[in-house]
Amino acid sequence: MRLERFREFFRWFYRYRSLRVTPEGTKFLLLTLAIGLAALNTGNNLLYLLLAMMLSLIVTSGILSERCLRHLLIRRVIPEQLMANRPATMTVSLTNHQPTASSFSLRVMDVMAGTVVDRGIHILHLSAGASVSHSYPVLFTRRGRHRMDGVKIETRFPFGLFVKGANFFLVSDLVVYPELRPLPEHLVHDLAVLGHDQAVSKRGPGSGLYNLREYRQGDDSRAIHWKTSARQSRLIVKETETEDRRQVTLALPTGIPSDLALECFEQAVRLTASLAAYFLRQGFAVRLLIGAHEVSHGQGQDMGEPHRHRLFHALALCEASPVGQFDEAVDGLRALDGVRTLATRTAQGELTIVVMSWPDPSVEAACQGASRVVRAWETP
Amino acid sequence: MTLERAFSVSSLLLAAVSFIGLVLTDEIPVGLVVLGLSALAVRIAGACGWGGDRLVVWITGRSESTWTAVLIVVFLCFGVDLLLISRDILPASVNFLILLMVVKLFHLRHRKDFLQLYAISLLALLAAAALTVDLWYAAVFTAYVFAAIWTLILSHLRTEAGEHTQHEAARQTSAPPAEAITARFFWTTNIIAVGSFCLTLVIFLLIPRIGTGFFQKNRTETIRTSGFSEKVDLGVIGAIKLDPTVVMRVELPEQRGPAKEALYFRGAAYDTYDGRSWANRSVIRRTLDRTADGWFVVSTPDAAPVAESSGLRQDILIEALDTTVLFGASFIETIKGGFQSVHVDGVGGLSLAAPTSARFQYQVWSIPHRVREPDRMADAGSARFLQVPDMSPRVAALAREVAVESRTPSEKARAIERYLQEAYQYSLDVGTAVSASPIEDFLFTRKTGYCEHYATAMVVMLRTLGIPARLVTGFLPGLWNDFGNYYSVRQQDAHAWVEVYFQDAGWVTFDPTPIVPAAPLAMFSHVSKVVDSLRLKWDRYVVQYSFRDQMAAAKMLREGGETVRSEVSGLLSLLTRSLASVKAWMIESASAYGGILLWILAVVALVMGVVIWNRRARRRESRHGDPRTDGQIAASHVYERMLRILESQGLRKPPGATPLEFARQVARERGEAARCVEAVTGIYCRVRFGQAPLSPDDTRHAHELLAGLQAAGREA
Repeated sequence: MRLERFREFFRWFYRYRSLRVTPEGTKFLLLTLAIGLAALNTGNNLLYLLLAMMLSLIVTSGILSERCLRHLLIRRVIPEQLMANRPATMTVSLTNHQPTASSFSLRVMDVMAGTVVDRGIHILHLSAGASVSHSYPVLFTRRGRHRMDGVKIETRFPFGLFVKGANFFLVSDLVVYPELRPLPEHLVHDLAVLGHDQAVSKRGPGSGLYNLREYRQGDDSRAIHWKTSARQSRLIVKETETEDRRQVTLALPTGIPSDLALECFEQAVRLTASLAAYFLRQGFAVRLLIGAHEVSHGQGQDMGEPHRHRLFHALALCEASPVGQFDEAVDGLRALDGVRTLATRTAQGELTIVVMSWPDPSVEAACQGASRVVRAWETP
Repeated sequence: MTLERAFSVSSLLLAAVSFIGLVLTDEIPVGLVVLGLSALAVRIAGACGWGGDRLVVWITGRSESTWTAVLIVVFLCFGVDLLLISRDILPASVNFLILLMVVKLFHLRHRKDFLQLYAISLLALLAAAALTVDLWYAAVFTAYVFAAIWTLILSHLRTEAGEHTQHEAARQTSAPPAEAITARFFWTTNIIAVGSFCLTLVIFLLIPRIGTGFFQKNRTETIRTSGFSEKVDLGVIGAIKLDPTVVMRVELPEQRGPAKEALYFRGAAYDTYDGRSWANRSVIRRTLDRTADGWFVVSTPDAAPVAESSGLRQDILIEALDTTVLFGASFIETIKGGFQSVHVDGVGGLSLAAPTSARFQYQVWSIPHRVREPDRMADAGSARFLQVPDMSPRVAALAREVAVESRTPSEKARAIERYLQEAYQYSLDVGTAVSASPIEDFLFTRKTGYCEHYATAMVVMLRTLGIPARLVTGFLPGLWNDFGNYYSVRQQDAHAWVEVYFQDAGWVTFDPTPIVPAAPLAMFSHVSKVVDSLRLKWDRYVVQYSFRDQMAAAKMLREGGETVRSEVSGLLSLLTRSLASVKAWMIESASAYGGILLWILAVVALVMGVVIWNRRARRRESRHGDPRTDGQIAASHVYERMLRILESQGLRKPPGATPLEFARQVARERGEAARCVEAVTGIYCRVRFGQAPLSPDDTRHAHELLAGLQAAGREA
């Protein structure tokens, strides 16, 4: 029972603090032990005095190092957007809230998934009440959720005999978007043509000319096209073409055979993300279908950056759904609802692009109505 | 001072302190002392920039192979020293350590060299602890603790600064490393050193004391003393009467100040005088019984009990003497110390089984006047105490003549004591000629002598009158150290006196030696008293600190704790009784005056509550987030005062106007106040918004201006 209590205490202690001995500290401890044995052997009180001095240095080291690590406030600033395989800059700021005491020799490290990552942040001296900020590059190689468990701060102050660490639980859940890669030229060309071909004129508010017709009762007199009216000697009004955005739907089936490498799916996700970025740059309203999950075009203020983030967020978190062996999938037993009904859900004039991660005949069959099927495995 | 220089100096000082500790043990050859001191002096001078740089650079610039060769030579010297010169591991090791230290002082290139120097200095201090127990070690140890704290902290910061430069050179986002030792750092480090030193003392007191004693060699020299062996020649005490060596320190823990009565620290007694020397022919030798709490009891069980209040307690710290005799004020009843057994002989002398080789302490409880000692009486009537040597009948005749008017043995003894004190002169100079009968020479020829002559003469004269008497040797109390509250007993305090046996009183002390006026105190006697007292404390509480002391301290704490507990519970019960009586009075008053009292109390409580709450709220408000500095607050107060003055003079600042706009308005409407208002506004804006500090000159100038403005307004 008592042993369990000790274990409990040490577990609690080491949750917040860690301690390890430096090489100099090991030699110091060995020397202390030797002096202790000499004192024990001889009973010489002056040797006991020396032993007391060594022990007091150890205790003093513990007290001062603990003092360095107390009352520290840590803030982490994470970039708004993190993409896989693209360096980003994180900032960590440290504030010493002690009224009088300074902190010395602080090394700040991230704790990610239980692993301590040294960012090379070394603060020699942090005065009482002072703050300091450090930025450091981070690179995530994998899209999806990443968790930063916290920050660990270590110090060797005052004597360099022990390294005391303090764990600060500063949990940050990060979503890393898929890597964006330049699209192949032929694909870009194809998409450009496709966009042009699929363009359909519509009457509506805008600046482009859609039609010229005779003036009717109730028409806005500002819409009268005077040149044509003068030529034809009758009132002609100008009808304008709507400036509605062009729309594109990107579909990404998530079913893959269980014996297929996940890298194929990742390739498809990257391609989908790159396509989304391309179309967004072109001013398209992008809709995303990931398996059965849909991220709609968005309207009004929901468009722009927030919509972009929603798209990439969905792509960051999408997961492949293993559908059994390759042969089963080829039988076409599994075709996504979203892809199958793609044709019926696509509005007139809307591009539909299906990104396939593997040669799924059922998807191929269901994609007859799609504007384009991109085969990820064929794309570098 | 820069970090680098401070680090170098502190490292060298650490080595210097430990080296001085070794030097003060007096065990180091002179050559090595000179070599070590020279090396330290050159290095410290170089580190502090006082000179010697060229020499240091030349020496430290030697190649690695040269240093390797030097080290090999040092090792060879150690071998030669161990096998041929010292032939003892400890002295040879100490000499080797010093040579290593000297080599290392000039080979401090890398961090590991400094760490090796620290290890050598610690070993040097360890060696000094093994070689000495003197008081100066305390000063060396204290200096070492301070130097160690400084050195370790500076070493760490220096290492960290080097790593910081590598890591952060490109970032330049953190504060630059502290290259200079600031005053704040200096005092903080000293405070840390003081704290560590205090913690050292606490840990020292708490570490359980166990000493197995294997491989231990004693290096303490014993003090040669005379006059306490089984046979002493007349004159041996005179030989040490000029020796100022301290032989023991005697504290009287149960009283403040010296003893009111004359004290004689009894050592040995002698019963047989052959005309030239005294001997102890007693065949009785008994081992004392020990009580449960460690006291050896001198009296036999059938002795009459004596009240403790009539006794004198002494705590004695005695040097390592070449005798087994235990000293204490006459007559010792019980004795306690770190010894296995204590023996008593037939003349009341206490002794150990063997002489000690180190200083030790013990406690004694004595009864100055012991009445009716059946155990000591048993032997009293023996002819041993009436024995007289062959001598001229003049001695007996003199004794009869001196005691002619005395009737009782006590009166006779007093008469002889008085006669010897008055008729003879004290002198240590008794010539070197060997006399056939020293006592006859003393009594009839020279008429000068010292304590042995006086005492021997009195014993012989009393024995001729048929009164049992014996010679006793021991020490007089010596100098009273009022600083430390103890007697400092030296070799020169050795003394001989007489014990005379009376039927109804037992053995009684007589001292026929005339009182010699004390020598005038030396100029530095007060300083030496302080030092001697410190030496006693050092011996008692550090060198001799033992498991028994720890138990005594624990017992004292427990008893103290119980005392505190009982005091506190007494106070609590008093408080409870008081509260109960107050409660009774209140109930009585309430029932007598009805509800009026209650209303009054309620109103008073309400008012107090409101006042307290108000104060707290104001305090909280003032504490909360006033981001202004003291200077800015002061500047704001000055500006507000100016506004109040102007308002009283009819010039009110519009709410939307800035300070500068208002200053311009004042310049338009009241030109004579413009200068003052502009100046105060300038100070206010500069301090309040410009982050400039508010100097005392600014404050004084502003107040002068405002006083002028106020005066001008009054005149207008």
